[in-house]
Amino acid sequence: MRTLIRRILDRLFTSVAGLSVLLMSAALVLVLGPILWRGATAVVFQGTVEFRRMQLYEFGRGDAEAVKAEVAQATQARAPVYQMLDEFSEGILVEKLSDRAKDINRSFDDQVAHRVDAGTISSEEGRRLGRAARKLRRTLLDAYDTDDKDEALELLDEVLSSPARKDLKNTVAESLFKQAGKYKRIVESVDLTQRDTYAESLREVSDILRELFGPRREDRAADLAEVRYGVTRADQAARVLDRLLWTEKWVPVEPGKPLVKKRTPRAERFQGTPIAGLFSTVERDLDKMLRPETTVYWRFFTDNSTTGHFFGGVGPEVVGTLMLTALAMAIAVPIGVVTAAYLVECTKDTLVVRILRTCINTLAGVPSIVFGLFGLAFFVLWALPGLDLAHGSSVLAGGLTLALLVLPIIIRSSEEAIRAVPQSYKEASLALGAGGLRTFLTVTLPAALPGVLTGVILSMSRAAGETAPILFTAAVAVGPWPGSLLKPCRTLSYASYDMAVGDRVAQRVPHNQFGMILALVLLVLILNVAAILIRSRISRKLRGG
Amino acid sequence: MNSNQTPQATSSTAADGFDRPLLLTPGQDLSGWAFRNVGRALLFLVASTCILSVLFIFLFILREAIPFLTKSGYLAELFTSREWYPARTKPLFGGWAILVGSVYVTLGALVVAVPIGLLAAVFLSDIVPFRLRQVIKPIIELLAAIPSVAYGFFAVLVFAPWMQNTLGMDTGTNALNASVILAVMAIPTIVSISEDALTAIGREIREGAYALGSTRAETTLKVILPAARSGILAAIILGMMRAIGETMVVWMASGNAVQVPTPWWDITTSVRTMTATIAGEMGETVHGSDHYHALFAIGLALLSITFVLNIISESLLARAKRKRG
Repeated sequence: MRTLIRRILDRLFTSVAGLSVLLMSAALVLVLGPILWRGATAVVFQGTVEFRRMQLYEFGRGDAEAVKAEVAQATQARAPVYQMLDEFSEGILVEKLSDRAKDINRSFDDQVAHRVDAGTISSEEGRRLGRAARKLRRTLLDAYDTDDKDEALELLDEVLSSPARKDLKNTVAESLFKQAGKYKRIVESVDLTQRDTYAESLREVSDILRELFGPRREDRAADLAEVRYGVTRADQAARVLDRLLWTEKWVPVEPGKPLVKKRTPRAERFQGTPIAGLFSTVERDLDKMLRPETTVYWRFFTDNSTTGHFFGGVGPEVVGTLMLTALAMAIAVPIGVVTAAYLVECTKDTLVVRILRTCINTLAGVPSIVFGLFGLAFFVLWALPGLDLAHGSSVLAGGLTLALLVLPIIIRSSEEAIRAVPQSYKEASLALGAGGLRTFLTVTLPAALPGVLTGVILSMSRAAGETAPILFTAAVAVGPWPGSLLKPCRTLSYASYDMAVGDRVAQRVPHNQFGMILALVLLVLILNVAAILIRSRISRKLRGG
Repeated sequence: MNSNQTPQATSSTAADGFDRPLLLTPGQDLSGWAFRNVGRALLFLVASTCILSVLFIFLFILREAIPFLTKSGYLAELFTSREWYPARTKPLFGGWAILVGSVYVTLGALVVAVPIGLLAAVFLSDIVPFRLRQVIKPIIELLAAIPSVAYGFFAVLVFAPWMQNTLGMDTGTNALNASVILAVMAIPTIVSISEDALTAIGREIREGAYALGSTRAETTLKVILPAARSGILAAIILGMMRAIGETMVVWMASGNAVQVPTPWWDITTSVRTMTATIAGEMGETVHGSDHYHALFAIGLALLSITFVLNIISESLLARAKRKRG
């Protein structure tokens, strides 16, 4: 019995230990999964015609003729929607109508004055016509103003059956009748008392449509690129369409309980109006209006971005990260390898070596944010301005800070690699008469190179991913394409932070948020896989003989 | 010196290749000695970059923190008061809640990371065959390699909404979120260092325990873990250092509210840590202001904590090494 319990406990222990490894793997998958999966949607997605239009105008890419033809087709598909919208807004947006009526009246006055001058009609006749037209206009404006359906119809009938109609034939004022006729049709179908709510809902609908299809006419004057185009991706289009088709409202179910989200079709609100069919039309023909196509946007990794990170890619961030990493490596690798060589080759366990080792360990344990503080206090505010090089944060300051951060990693891995070189190699070289330096450079270092390289690659991935040390020394959220060592730059790590937390524009383009972090994670993963492969080759070689 | 020198002085009896006297002249001897030592000195000079940079880090952090530390009352306020209002005209620098926040998320992370990390280390060192270990190791390496900003990104855009929507918490960015993510980040450190400590315990100790009839669980728990305890303790301390010094994750995931969780077990409260305070506020302060120096004082505290932890872990590892032989 006791043995049984002990065996069960043993099995339990084994499986719990196995479980913890499984848990670790699950954590890796859970963290990397969403980043890779959702980040991939920044590169591969259903791009709409608006995407191709944006690429053409913002990046000068694509076949202009083909894109224009496609835009024309899309515009044609969208036409019925806008027609419905216009017709309805005629009846709802009264100010517009009133303005037009006044315009007509004014130009009619001009026309009459012109005819009087020309002597076609007498001045008294002219005054009479003017009075009649003004009266018509006043009645029409009253009809526009009123909320009462019957009153409006009555007023409109008054206009339409006006005795002056015959006199005003073939003048500008004739369009007043046309207006009245149009408005009458709308009044018959629309509940005028709800005109204000309609107007508000209508504004919402046209805002959403603008977001979906972009500005109706080529509105090149728009400052921000993000309002120059409609939705560029099918997944985004689906979200906007959802907002168009449904309205959401938080309603209390019962007192004391949290509010519940209630969705109602937006079409219900417009029952019986000219745009009741708009919603189903958009839903049915969305593909014709946006023409989505599977797009592989490789240039995401090299493109600049416009207005925040709304359109475009992560090019400047990639370049900035590479610059910082390269600089940090250029400084840290020579120092690190020489230090490792010194530790292995030159000295026994003296006090100096012990101090050196303690310092390396301390350096490895310094929190990254403290490196950032040090970089700020030393490089940014003291050394670089002292040398009159850079004022304020710069790639140089960030690279130097990162170099200190990765130095212990390089030293440790290089030391290990150099130590692993068999003593017999060195002895053979020394026996052949080579000096210490020559032995190190021509025998030990080449033999240790793969191991050193592994450490260098791993520290590169560390330098590329670090954010805290460059917060105050090198990184900016917005800025020009990085080029100078003495200027701050955009980096993948800082931009990922900024897009996840700070940037309000970025919240609207989750694919770009995830695309940014994908670029960083890919860079780090590639470097790490390379390191793992090199290391497994070394260990195979060692085991193989 | 060169081997391709014309062999004019070669005696007919010497074998080919021995074209120079084996004995060096005193001049050559001297220059060789000088060259060697100058070279060594140069090497040492380069190697001392590390020593210099550690010195400079302490020096410059201290230099910027001193104006804050020497102002009367500020130091005591930093460690006792909870009133952190650095931007007021009469600023208050009570860092107690921030200190507690750091310790809180770090301990939270350890509660998750230590059991999982140790079990995984045992699994790797004592249970799985070599081949499987070669598969699992890269997983740990990748976990360690993922940049902290990626973890923070995950915490704030995937994990926090999930906790908020599925678990019904008031806010997804809280101490629990930060602790869990920090645990994931600390696990690789704990696993790899304690695995080293466990493998260093010799075969004969394991075999002795098995010979006495103990099961694997008993061997591990009662013999190997105690034998490797200094190494394991060092692993835990290093994992703790990773968690306490981590910036991006806690800045993004902990909610950044200056408050002490009440009651103390309420892990769904938003907290603020030392690292997050530095990262979040340094960008907004005027260089040279009291606030700026206060942030350096927090940095100094952080540096001191990690320095002490580092010394402890180093001595533990040294002891483990001594014990082994």
